[in-house]
Amino acid sequence: MDAAATLPLLLGLAWLAPLVSFVAILFYGPRMGPHGRNAATVATAAIVTSLVLSLLAAGVWLGNHPVTAAVAHGGGDHGATGIPGADSPGGQGPGHGGEGHAVGEHASGGHGAPVPPSYSGDWYTLYEAGGLTLSIGWWIDALTVMMFVVVTLIATCIHVYASGYMHDELHDVTDHEVHLADGSHLHRPGRFPRFFQALSLFCFSMLGIVIAGNLAMVFIFWELVGICSWFLIGFYYERQSASNAANKAFIVNRVGDFGMLIGLMALWGALGTLHFGDRTVVDASGAPVARPGLFSLVRPASTGHALEVPAGMVEFAAADEVAAVVRTTAAQGGGADPGAVAATVASRVDDWRARGLGRWLLFIAGVGIFCGCVGKSAQFPLFVWLPDAMEGPTPVSALVHSATMVAAGVYLVGRFYPVLTPDVLYVIAWIGAITLFIAATIALVANDIKRVLAYSTVSQLGYMMLALGVGGWAAGLFHLVTHAFFKSLLFLCSGSVIHACHTNDMRKMGGLAKVMPWTAGTMLVGCLAIIGAGIPFVIGTSGYYSKDAILAQALAFANANPGRGWLFGAVAGGAFLTAFYMFRLWFMTFAGEPRDHHIAEHAHESPPVMVRPLVVLAVLAVVAGWTLPGGFGLANLIEQARPAGTGGMEQGGFLFSGLVVPPEHESHEGAVHVTATLTAFATAAAGVLLAAVMYLWGWVSPHVVAGALRPAYEFLAHRWYFDELYHAIFVAPVLAVSALVSGADRGIIDRIIDGLAWSARCLAGFDAWIDKWVVDGLVNATADVTWNAGLELKKFQTGRLRQYVTFIALGTVALFVLLSFLYRSTFAG
Amino acid sequence: MTGHSLLGAALPMVAAINWHSLFFLLFASLACGFALAVVFTTNVVRMALHLVLSLAATAGLFFLANAEFIGAMQLMIYVGGTLVLLVFGVMLTAQQPFVSIRTSARDQVLAGVAGAATLAVLLVAVLSVGRWGLPASGEVDAPTATPLGMALLGVRVDAAGGGHSGFLLPFEIVSVHLLVVLVGAAYLARAKRRRTPRPVDVLASADPPLAPRPAVAVPGGVTRGASRSALVGSGDAAGGGA
Amino acid sequence: MSGGSWGAGGVAALIAFGPFSEPVTVSHYMVVGAVMFVAGIVCMAVKRNALGVLMGIELVLNGANVNFVALSSPYLQANGPGLGLDGQAMALFVILLAAAEAAVALAITLNFYNNHATVDVDRAEDLKG
Repeated sequence: MDAAATLPLLLGLAWLAPLVSFVAILFYGPRMGPHGRNAATVATAAIVTSLVLSLLAAGVWLGNHPVTAAVAHGGGDHGATGIPGADSPGGQGPGHGGEGHAVGEHASGGHGAPVPPSYSGDWYTLYEAGGLTLSIGWWIDALTVMMFVVVTLIATCIHVYASGYMHDELHDVTDHEVHLADGSHLHRPGRFPRFFQALSLFCFSMLGIVIAGNLAMVFIFWELVGICSWFLIGFYYERQSASNAANKAFIVNRVGDFGMLIGLMALWGALGTLHFGDRTVVDASGAPVARPGLFSLVRPASTGHALEVPAGMVEFAAADEVAAVVRTTAAQGGGADPGAVAATVASRVDDWRARGLGRWLLFIAGVGIFCGCVGKSAQFPLFVWLPDAMEGPTPVSALVHSATMVAAGVYLVGRFYPVLTPDVLYVIAWIGAITLFIAATIALVANDIKRVLAYSTVSQLGYMMLALGVGGWAAGLFHLVTHAFFKSLLFLCSGSVIHACHTNDMRKMGGLAKVMPWTAGTMLVGCLAIIGAGIPFVIGTSGYYSKDAILAQALAFANANPGRGWLFGAVAGGAFLTAFYMFRLWFMTFAGEPRDHHIAEHAHESPPVMVRPLVVLAVLAVVAGWTLPGGFGLANLIEQARPAGTGGMEQGGFLFSGLVVPPEHESHEGAVHVTATLTAFATAAAGVLLAAVMYLWGWVSPHVVAGALRPAYEFLAHRWYFDELYHAIFVAPVLAVSALVSGADRGIIDRIIDGLAWSARCLAGFDAWIDKWVVDGLVNATADVTWNAGLELKKFQTGRLRQYVTFIALGTVALFVLLSFLYRSTFAG
Repeated sequence: MTGHSLLGAALPMVAAINWHSLFFLLFASLACGFALAVVFTTNVVRMALHLVLSLAATAGLFFLANAEFIGAMQLMIYVGGTLVLLVFGVMLTAQQPFVSIRTSARDQVLAGVAGAATLAVLLVAVLSVGRWGLPASGEVDAPTATPLGMALLGVRVDAAGGGHSGFLLPFEIVSVHLLVVLVGAAYLARAKRRRTPRPVDVLASADPPLAPRPAVAVPGGVTRGASRSALVGSGDAAGGGA
Repeated sequence: MSGGSWGAGGVAALIAFGPFSEPVTVSHYMVVGAVMFVAGIVCMAVKRNALGVLMGIELVLNGANVNFVALSSPYLQANGPGLGLDGQAMALFVILLAAAEAAVALAITLNFYNNHATVDVDRAEDLKG
């Protein structure tokens, strides 16, 4: 099967299916059965279609590019074992008119970096001017296919779950959290179709990010995901808290997107392209011209895919030098020849690059793109929106705010990884470490079950970012996938608990394992997965593999950079904290005696439609990390997509001197791996043990600990005072300035306007007076005179014939007399 | 003797009489007197009689002024035609209340003042033109009927009108005018019937239906009248049954 | 007998030495016309009977006619016949028009009588302002 033609078709259809569902529900949702009940069916059918198509695409992919263990430890030492003939450069796209571009993994032979198999092309060109192109296109490699499967699989589970969870919305809803002015609760119609409409649009947007072939398209769907998140967080928009949370998420994300825009501008302005892959375009003369994509520009094949500052950025930064060249050429009489200038500039680019020109631009581009990821993936300092986002319905939390949307940031860093310099990676590692530590500590003291999970999500995202930052490309993305499974499982379990208890507060739960065995069991699996439980060196849950990989990479980084070893400490400490708070959650919820008997008596196991997805996800949470005999497994599949040139050691940063990013395969080597695995096991076990001591067996009362560490407890309970800090340094000044401006508006501008209006009114009043008494007076006077004259003259029209005759006679006489007096001289004379 | 002397004295006086003046005075006083009689009589029948006499005397004045054709026309048309018409009108309307209608004294005084003022103006104007007071120098005997008839047919044969065109066009206009007047007068004075019966009439005359008027007008009127009476009759039949 | 003679003689003298020996002029006719005209005016002004008004009109027209005839007569003027034949033609037209007018006026009067059951012109004030 021709993968270059088939994959874009399959994945493109998988991408568009939720859009069809969205449009259908948008226009016909309320008419889909009673209260729009069938909207769930439509949306689920669409996402199942996507899942099937994604699985087909995965099959096609695996048929063309089998995953073997050899690839897993590929890198520079092993060379590539790709399949020649998989590439078909310039082949036509699948009926969409764009041109496809496939790159095989055989490109650079046995030495240097292998080129991962990938396919890219454009379906539709939005805009083209000169060398600049905006288009809807695809970039498909193993990571894309895997993400499609993961997103659609989780989304399918969550659609099924949500069709049960949201059944309240099928009827009129009385929202007990909204208090109207008259003290009653809000009573509103159900919004069942609306929920699935937004969910479908979200799936479409998320898949759009995954399949995007260029950064502009990524940005478009990035924002679409943001607006979907806004819709879904604010689903209960009558609640003030939900409305605020939706706005907060949207605004905080804008901050990150601002940085992303800067990054996009840096790339667009300096390099003139946002495409990931190389393209072949036809120029004015009809000749095909190769246009390298971002990856080829930053890691050209000529350097063995080693990172170098692209010529475009060098020239961009060396504007003064280029101007000097132009002047020199002009002085030599060749000013009219752009070719000569271009040739001279090209010959000197290497000099300028050696002087370090342009590396700041590349750094800014990388950090800018990462800023967007910070917002979307809830990294420090923009993580504050994610816990608040738990105001949305629980399926939303599971899908949007744990498994997929927040993963978009990590995914983009992974996708953009070839362009990131060691300096940028170090920044990412820092941010990731800070995030994971802060979030984990806050999760220790949170009592809202969904907030615990939310901070856990933030913390795990920090893990992923840190992994990417220390060079663990595969480890970070591996954890992204496994985390998607077990975190969506955990959220769905928490949703099941909330569904049963009608409260989020863990202090009112306890002992639920008896009444909700399935939920308790699957949640226990999720907790074990997230702490990375497993029998060391034998077998474990999915988290065991991914977390070990991260720890190992962090340890390798620490070994390579002796002065920066604390990052490993952060990872290990984070693992301990994760184990503690996750089992604190489980023990408080399911173990022991019920704290609130009223809730415990009314609790019940959720309906099968909700439990089945839990089981499916629980199984996946366990097995997702396994590698089958023969090398087939997620880790190796990801490894297959490793960007060209990123398998080796990256050295040197111009900002952080002596920085070494170790190659990832080193972390698999014995000493590092064993240390990491043992550390992970020990920290996780310690965390679980401590949780059991405090919350299961009750040997140490949590209250006593909290009392003993009162300042620290308060600090954590207030979430490190981040909300207060942001309120003080951003919100309050903005409000103050707004108040000032508003005051100026009211006090000065409005006064002036009012004064103008007042004077205009006075003038108008004067005008009205003139109109009324002078103009109208004249007119009325004329009318009155005419009227009165008419009245007087009317008396003469008596209708009496004889009187008329008399008048005629007298009138004639009078006329004669008058004439005789007047014209006496004339007549008589 | 005395009679002779008287006669003798009278004869030269009689011979000195200007008979033209005498008859003028006679006709003038008759015309003016009967005209004033028309004014002062209140009975309309007598007014008509006095008017006839006044106009007849005026015809005499016309004869005296060498306008024998006009005088004849005056007698024929005015006295013989117009006034007969007028007398018919008097007789048609001469019901007792209308034979003499009193006029208020105020109106009479006002009319008298107006009349006196007009008369004064006219007399002053007439007497102020000296030329009109001079008598003719010699006798002229020129019959006017023939020249007038020729002039009406467009040919001027009299000396004064030499070179001027005649009165053929006014003559024709007047003839058409008279025709129009006759038709119009006949139309105006014809006996009219109402277009639609008034509700009051229908109700009032429910039992004996309105008798169809004699069909003296155009045939369309007859059919209209017949159809109307048929309608009324059917309505009455229903009313009678009730 | 003798008284009657004296009476006759008186009358004859009156006639001979009064106005009878004087030749008739245009002015005389004009005076007659003026009197008839004024009589017509007054007649129109005082008669409430529509036919009386009509008679007044006839008088007015007749007075005017007298003037026309007088001015056209060669017997009455020193300087020739004045209007000559034109005056007589005009008088003839006036007579004709008076006849026409009388016919129409009579028709109007009868109509008025039909509609209002009276010939009192003071009752005809439908056009009063």
